[in-house]
Amino acid sequence: MTAPAPAPVVSTTALRRSAVRRVPPAVVISFALVAFVLLWSVVPGLFTSHDPAVGVPADKFLGPSGAHWFGTDHLGRDLFARVVHGSASSVSSALIAVAIAVLVGGLIGLVAGFVGGWTDTVLARLVDVFLAIPEFLLAVIVVSSLGFETTNAAIATGVSAVGIFARVMRSEVLKTGRAVFVEAAYLQGGSRWHILTRHVLPNASRSVLTLAVLQFGYSILIIASLAFLGYGDPPPASDWGLLISVGKDYPLAPWLIYAPALVMIATVLSVNRISRWLRKTD
Amino acid sequence: MNRDYAKYALRRVLQAVVVILLAYMFTFVVISVLPGDPVTNTLRNPQNGFTEEEITRIVAYYGLDRPVYVQLWSSLSRFVVGDLGVSLRSGLPVTRQVGEVLGSTVVLALSALGVALVLAFGTAFGAQYLPRRVGRLLRAFPSLFLSMPNFVIGLVLINVFAFQLGLFQVIDSEGGLATFFAAVALGIPVSARVTEVLIANLDHEAGEEYASVARSRGLGRTRLFLRHLLKPSSLPVVTVIALTVGELLGGAVITEQIFGRTGIGSLVERSVTTQDLPVLQAIVTLAAIVFVVVNLVADLVYPLLDPRVRLGGTTSAARPEPRDLAEVVAP
Amino acid sequence: MAPQDRLTLDRVETPAATPDLLRVEGLSVAYGDNQVVTDVGFGLRRGESLALIGESGSGKSTIARAVLRLLPRGLGRATGRVEFDGHDVLSLSERRFRPLRGRRIGFVPQDPGNSLNPVRTIGAQAREAAALLGELNPAERKDLILETFAQVGLDDPRRVHDSYPHQLSGGMLQRVLIGLTVLPRPALIVADEPTSALDVTIQKRILDLLSRLRQDLDISLLLITHDLAIAAERADSLVVLKDGVVQEAGATAVVFSAPTSEYARKLHGDVPALNPDRYRHLRDRVRESGPPKIEVSGVTKTFTVEGRALTAVDDVSFVVEPGTTHALVGESGSGKTTTIRLLLGLEEPDSGSIKVAGEEVTGRSHASLRSIRRHLQLVYQNPFTSLDPKWTVKRLVGESLDRFGVGTRQERAERVRAALDSVGLGAHLLSRRPAALSGGQRQRVALARSLVLRPDVIVLDEPTSALDVSVQAGIVEVLLSLQAELGLTYVFVSHDLALVRQLAHTVSVVHRGRVVEGGPVATVFDNPRQPYTRALVESIPAPRPTVANGAS
Repeated sequence: MTAPAPAPVVSTTALRRSAVRRVPPAVVISFALVAFVLLWSVVPGLFTSHDPAVGVPADKFLGPSGAHWFGTDHLGRDLFARVVHGSASSVSSALIAVAIAVLVGGLIGLVAGFVGGWTDTVLARLVDVFLAIPEFLLAVIVVSSLGFETTNAAIATGVSAVGIFARVMRSEVLKTGRAVFVEAAYLQGGSRWHILTRHVLPNASRSVLTLAVLQFGYSILIIASLAFLGYGDPPPASDWGLLISVGKDYPLAPWLIYAPALVMIATVLSVNRISRWLRKTD
Repeated sequence: MNRDYAKYALRRVLQAVVVILLAYMFTFVVISVLPGDPVTNTLRNPQNGFTEEEITRIVAYYGLDRPVYVQLWSSLSRFVVGDLGVSLRSGLPVTRQVGEVLGSTVVLALSALGVALVLAFGTAFGAQYLPRRVGRLLRAFPSLFLSMPNFVIGLVLINVFAFQLGLFQVIDSEGGLATFFAAVALGIPVSARVTEVLIANLDHEAGEEYASVARSRGLGRTRLFLRHLLKPSSLPVVTVIALTVGELLGGAVITEQIFGRTGIGSLVERSVTTQDLPVLQAIVTLAAIVFVVVNLVADLVYPLLDPRVRLGGTTSAARPEPRDLAEVVAP
Repeated sequence: MAPQDRLTLDRVETPAATPDLLRVEGLSVAYGDNQVVTDVGFGLRRGESLALIGESGSGKSTIARAVLRLLPRGLGRATGRVEFDGHDVLSLSERRFRPLRGRRIGFVPQDPGNSLNPVRTIGAQAREAAALLGELNPAERKDLILETFAQVGLDDPRRVHDSYPHQLSGGMLQRVLIGLTVLPRPALIVADEPTSALDVTIQKRILDLLSRLRQDLDISLLLITHDLAIAAERADSLVVLKDGVVQEAGATAVVFSAPTSEYARKLHGDVPALNPDRYRHLRDRVRESGPPKIEVSGVTKTFTVEGRALTAVDDVSFVVEPGTTHALVGESGSGKTTTIRLLLGLEEPDSGSIKVAGEEVTGRSHASLRSIRRHLQLVYQNPFTSLDPKWTVKRLVGESLDRFGVGTRQERAERVRAALDSVGLGAHLLSRRPAALSGGQRQRVALARSLVLRPDVIVLDEPTSALDVSVQAGIVEVLLSLQAELGLTYVFVSHDLALVRQLAHTVSVVHRGRVVEGGPVATVFDNPRQPYTRALVESIPAPRPTVANGAS
C-alpha cells in the first residue's frame, strides 16, 4: 500500500460544513414558490374567489389586470382561477408519476444490483428496452393504450421513467455494495438482508431522492405535453398543458399562453433548483 | 487490445440486437392491451370505408381473431424479415408511409441537434471563460432549458416571429426559417443535458492537478484550454449526445404538430387518434432502433477516442454509465 | 522577460543582507473567510534547500502554491510579499509572471498519477516544457527530451515519450515530472510532497534523484513535506508550520538537535524513524506463553486478471504467538492485503492452511466463519471509507453486539461506552456521525468497533497510514496499551518500517507474494540477509547522525 496524500490544500470538510448551514436565497425562494403551488392544489379556494368553470361572457379576452391577474379566456373565465384550480391535477399527476417511477424502477435496480449474476443481466436488458424507447413516445403509446385521462397520462409518464430510476438505483447499489464499510458490516456479523436494508439502501437512496425531485419537475412538463396533445382530461378541466393548448388558438390573447406557461416554468425551475441544492449538500 | 476490442464490439452488437427485438415485443404488448377493439374501432369505421372482404383480409393477415401471443409471434417473425405490416387506416404498407415522412423529421432533428450543440458549447465555454458575473448567469442556463417544454418555446416563437414580426409563414411549414425556429424549439430543451455535462466536465478538468502542473510549466489560459482541457471534457459528451436521440424523436411529436410539419411526430399523433396500431408499432420500433444504433456507435467509437479506456476482463464500463448522467444532469 | 530596470526599483527598498533567491515576508493566504496561512516568512539562498514541515491543515502546500501563484482562481487570496530573484511575485501581472513559471521556478507535484494529462502522450506534454527554452527545432527538442528522460533514470526514453500516463508506474511518472521540471534549467524547484504517493524504496530513489540533480544543476529546492525525517535528511534549513503559523525555523541541525518550540518537540517525538524505542516499556513486557494464536502455512492464492494468472500470495507461512504483534511489511502489490483477506476468510486460498486459535479458517461455510470472526477483527486502512456515513458512532460501535445478540440493551450500551473509553473517546461522541469526526477520531471509532466483541486477534491493515504523525502516535499508544492490558494479538500490515520497528515483535517481509525474510524485528532489521529487506531498511530516512543523537 502507498501512503495516501496527507494534506489537502484546503480543509474541504470545513468549507462544506459552513455551506450546509447557509441555504442560498435562490433555494429559499424556490421552496417558497413550490410551497405556494402545493397550497394552490390543496386549498385553491383560499387564493381566488373566481369560479374556474363559469365565466362572464361579457368579460371575455380581458388582458391581465387587478381584477383578473392573468386576464380572462374566450368564455370570460378568470385565467388565474383556472391556473390555481388546475394545479391540483398537474401536481398530483406528477406525484403519481414519480411514485411509480421510484417504486418500480427502484425495485428493479435494487434487485439487479444486489442479486447480480443472471438476474442482473436479464433486468439490464429490460431496462435497456425502457431506455431505448424515447421517453415521450413511450408515454404516448402507454396513455393511448390505457385511455385518454389525466390519471392515465400520469401512469404513462411514470412508466416512461422507470428505466432511468432502475439504472441509477442499480449503479448506486453496486457502488455502495463495493464500499469498504459494507464489508466491515459483514465482518461485524451482519446478514445480507441487514446489510441491504441498513447500509446499502440508506446510502444508495440519496441520489435516487435527488433524481426523484428532479423527475417531479420533469413529469409536470411531460404530463403538460400529453395534456397539450389532448391525451388528458378534456375541458373544462384546467391542467396547465391543456390551458396552453386552448390558449394557442387565440393568438390575439397571448396571455392565455404566457401566464400558465410562466407558472409552469417557474414551478419546474424551482424544483430543479431544489434538486440541485439537495445534490450538493451531503 | 484488438482482440479485446473485437470481443467487446461483438458483445455490444449482440446486446443491441436483443434490445431491439425486446423493444418490438414490449411495444406490441403495450399496444395490444388496448381496451378498445381495433377491428370495430378502425376497420368498421365508415369513415375509413373498408369493404367486408378487405376487413376479412386484414383480420386474417394480422390474425386479429387469434390469441395475443400467437399474434405476437407472427408479428415478430414478420418484423425480423423487415415486414412492418399495413396501415389500418390507408391500407398502404407501413414502411412506405413512414418512409415518406422520415426525411422531414431527420432534417428537423439534425437541425435541432445543431442548435443544441452550438448552445451547449457556447454556454459552457462562456461559463468558464467569460467574466465571473456573466459566467454565473450562464451556469443557470441548463436548469432553465430543462424547465422549458418545447411546446411553450414553439408557441412563443410562433407568436413573436410569425404573428407579430411576420418573419415566417406558419402555412409554409417546411421553409427555411420555419424549420430553423422549429429546430430552436426542439433544440433548447435537448441542449440542457449536454450543457450541464460539458460545464461540469470543464470545471472538473480545470480543477485537476495536471492542469495546475501544466500551468506551472508556463502555459497560458487559452493554450491550457485548447491543448489540455477541451479533449478530456468533450469526450464524454459523445455519450450524452447519443442519448439525446430519444429526446429529439420524442420532442418531434409536439414540435411538428405545433409548426404544422408533416413528419414522424405528426404521424404518431395521427395514428394515436385513429388507433392505427401497425403504424404506431412501426414508429416506436424505428425510434428504438435509431436510439440503440446511435448509442451502439457511440459505445464502439468511444474506446477508440479515449486512450484511458482499457477493455477486457470484467471492465464493461467503456464509457460512463448513461444515466449516471442523471446525476450530472440534476442541474 | 520583464525589463530589468523596472524591477530594480523594487529591489532597492529591500535591503537584504544575504542574496536570497526566494524571500517570503509576511505571507498570509485566505480561502474566502478561512485564513489558512498567517504571516509566514522565510528565505532560501541560491543552491540551498529548505523544507516546509507540517501536518494536514498546516498550510504548507498553500504556501507552495502561493509562491507559484497557482492558488485556485477567485478562491485563494494571498497578501504579503514573495520575492523571487528580485521580482515581486504577488504584484506582477499574470502576463509578466508567466515567463518565470516553468522557466525559472519549476514545480514537482505530490501525486504523479494525476499530474499529467491522461489523454495526451508524455511526449506531447514534454514538448511544452522544451518549448520554454525557445529557439529549438523539433528534432533538437525531441533529443533534449529523450536526453532528460535518460538523465532522470528512465530506462527506455523512447517508449516513455510515446506512452500515455496510465501506461507508466507511479515512480516512472514522478521521474517524468521531475525531468520536465529540470529540463528548462530552473533556478528553483518547489516540490510538494514529491514522494508521499510512492512506495518506500522508490521514495528513496526519487529523493536521491532530486538531490543529485540539485547538485549537478545548481538548483535551489523548496521541499514541502509532512515527514520530519525526510526533511532532516534532505534539507539545509527547516520551517515548522502548524495551522498556517510558523512554529520554529532555522538550520536543520539546530532545529533538529535543540527544538525550542513545543510543537517541534512533540513532532520530533512522534516520528517513528527518530524514536525506535519509544514504546519499549509497553512492547517488551513479560507475556504468558501458550499455543500460537495464528498459524499460516503454505498458503497460495492466484487471481485471474485480464486472462492472465497472477499469483498474489505464494507459499506464505508465518506464526503469531499470543499477545504479540506480527508485522507484514511490503510495498503496494506485494500481496500483504490479500494475505490478511485470506486470514479473515474473505477469500479462499488455493492451497495451504490457516489456523486461528487452533481452528481452521479455510473451507468453512458462511455461518461457521461468522463464529470465528467473533474472535478475529479487522481495522481498515482508511477510516474515511470504513465507517457508514449514515450511522452514528453508537450504532457503528454497537453493530456487532446487536448482530451477535450479546447481552441486554443496557449491557450493550455499557460495552459500547467502555470500548470508546478504552480508545480514548468520550461519551459525548456517541450521537455523532463520521462526518463530524476528525480522521484520528474515526480510526479510534473503528478500533473501538473491533474491540467491543472482546476478540483475541485484531488485524490492522495500515491503520495509521491515512493519518498525520501526531495522530498516528496517539493511535499506536492506544494499540500498545490495549495489548498490554488485554493480551491482544495483532497482525499489523504496514509499509512503514520505522513504525513496525516501534511496535512489532516479529515481522514477515513480503515481496511479490512471497515471504522473503521473517523473524524477530530486531534481528531482521539489524541484520537483513536478503537484498530486498536491506533496500527496505535503507529506505528509512536517516537524519545526519550528529543531529539525531542530540534529540531523544
